[in-house]
Amino acid sequence: MKSKHFVAKFYLIFVLVVLYVPIFYLIYFSFSSGRNMNKFEHFTWMHYQTLFQDNRLLAIFLETILLALLSSLIATIVGTLGAIAIAGLQKKWQQKTLLALNNVLIVSPDVIIGASFLIFFTALGIGLNFGSVLLSHIAFSIPIVVLMVLPRLKELDYSLIDAARDLGANNYQVFSNVMIPALMPGIFAGMFMALTYSLDDFGVTFFVTGNGFSTLSVEIYSRARQGIDLEINALSTVMFLFVLLLVGIYYFITTRKGRKGRKMVGGLIK
Amino acid sequence: MNIIELKHVNKRYDDGFVALKDINLKIESGKFYSLLGPSGSGKSTILRIIAGFSQPTEGRVFFAGKDITDLDPAKRQINTVFQNYALFSHLNVFDNVAFGLKIKKRPLREIKPIVKDALKMVRLEGYANREISELSGGQQQRVAIARAIVNEPKVLLLDESLSALDKRLRKEMQFELRAIQKKLGITFIFVTHDQEEALSMSDEIFVLNNGRIEQNGSPIDIYDEPINDFVARFIGNSNILPGRMIKDYEVEFANQRFKCADAGMKANEKVEIVIRPEDLDITSPEKGKLVVTAQTQLFLGDHFEIKAVDADENEWLIHSTNGCKLNQRIGLYFDPEDIHVMRLHESQKDFNARLESYEDEEHDND
Repeated sequence: MKSKHFVAKFYLIFVLVVLYVPIFYLIYFSFSSGRNMNKFEHFTWMHYQTLFQDNRLLAIFLETILLALLSSLIATIVGTLGAIAIAGLQKKWQQKTLLALNNVLIVSPDVIIGASFLIFFTALGIGLNFGSVLLSHIAFSIPIVVLMVLPRLKELDYSLIDAARDLGANNYQVFSNVMIPALMPGIFAGMFMALTYSLDDFGVTFFVTGNGFSTLSVEIYSRARQGIDLEINALSTVMFLFVLLLVGIYYFITTRKGRKGRKMVGGLIK
Repeated sequence: MNIIELKHVNKRYDDGFVALKDINLKIESGKFYSLLGPSGSGKSTILRIIAGFSQPTEGRVFFAGKDITDLDPAKRQINTVFQNYALFSHLNVFDNVAFGLKIKKRPLREIKPIVKDALKMVRLEGYANREISELSGGQQQRVAIARAIVNEPKVLLLDESLSALDKRLRKEMQFELRAIQKKLGITFIFVTHDQEEALSMSDEIFVLNNGRIEQNGSPIDIYDEPINDFVARFIGNSNILPGRMIKDYEVEFANQRFKCADAGMKANEKVEIVIRPEDLDITSPEKGKLVVTAQTQLFLGDHFEIKAVDADENEWLIHSTNGCKLNQRIGLYFDPEDIHVMRLHESQKDFNARLESYEDEEHDND
């Protein structure tokens, strides 16, 4: 029994190490004074200094985050309403068809979605800039939000809606005071997923970025093609810390309610 | 004054299922009513139609004389306590109770004392800041009641509201519900499948079966004078036997003739008779009106439940405070009033008219 337990633990640690080693390898060399990752020379902040003086890269960094926030916010609103509409459909086959169409968009490769957006935008004469990237990010985030919100809707206790109507709420009040709070965990998970999808998307973005606008993933790709620069390592480190912060915020928000509740029990027991 | 009246209400679902068949009922102001019936009898459907969550296929619903059939539930002076309480888990106790008042845009300084009073009414003072998840089932039940009564409804609907509680808590809540109803002086309509619950709390009971009202009346009327064998079986335990009415106040069953307290039927009419198990007294075979042989006996704490068989193989259920010896002949004694005679397929209207006719006669004789 004990050895089995040990094997399981060892396996878990091994998997985690394999997953994290490349990231820490990158971070490690971001502090090397050398020009490449063959050998660690000596400790320096040099690459961070060049990074923070690289206005173009910093602008792209901020724009990428703005894009992610904006696209996930809009996708969450559209996706949540869409999920409510799908759940409200009377006929089972309609629900299943819409859900299947939704899932096709999630499964299909980024290249296909990106290429189709490119054709779509050029056909309509829409310029390739921040707007086109935002539109495509919103589009591929919506199915994810729908998928995260729908299970919540299925679990929703419809007597809650009856209760709210019974207490005098009109349709809008039922929606804002009862449905949205009940769906909140799903909505929040959907928004976070949309945020991460937008942040690390390369495939779709690569097709729909024009001259004036680029996201981090596309920029790093184009720089890496010209040879590895340790400035990218520094940037990756900053990004890693940023993502860590995001995950931290997510956990903080999702567990806050429970902590508030516990505190109140403590307050009452004294 | 009838606060609620249902006239010829029918409910058919899209799949053809008929939930209600020509329901007519009158609810008076300030009384405690129960809709009693097995699951699928339509009792919750009636409640949903009164609350406005469901529309009758045919028929009208009246509230204090006004037709409210098409009125939005939000605009009815009726509130509901749901079976699973339907509390808003993202709000604490105070906000749950205050929900209806906040929707009506009442200022917070007005809301606070009202909520406090409502919580006091359901004995939950000091719980205002608790989260719903921290409350026990009984406490959640009380919050649901408080949330409904702050809106000052004229009628409170309770949908199987006690069924999720354990037996002791249920008993406690029965007393409390009755006390709250008395204090508020409003009409309660309570849906239940538990006959004991309905008998102990109600001023009037509607017994439902298969989407029809079988009988309505006070708990004592329904228990003592069940209109047919469904009601007799559903409300309490009964011994039901086929019989024949010889003449007024004389009935034949189990091949013997007995005096009884019922009249107004045709001579030699086929009837069913009901004798409640607790009305049968065990005595010696010589003194008994019937002689039976006890077969099984269960001790149930406050009484024994004895199953016995008479000479014609009719089974008799007897509740007795004392046990008896098994497989021995025992006598059963009962008074003429303990025999309840039921005509086959008698409507409630005819039933009431018949009872009244000979009850008047009895008074005249006095």
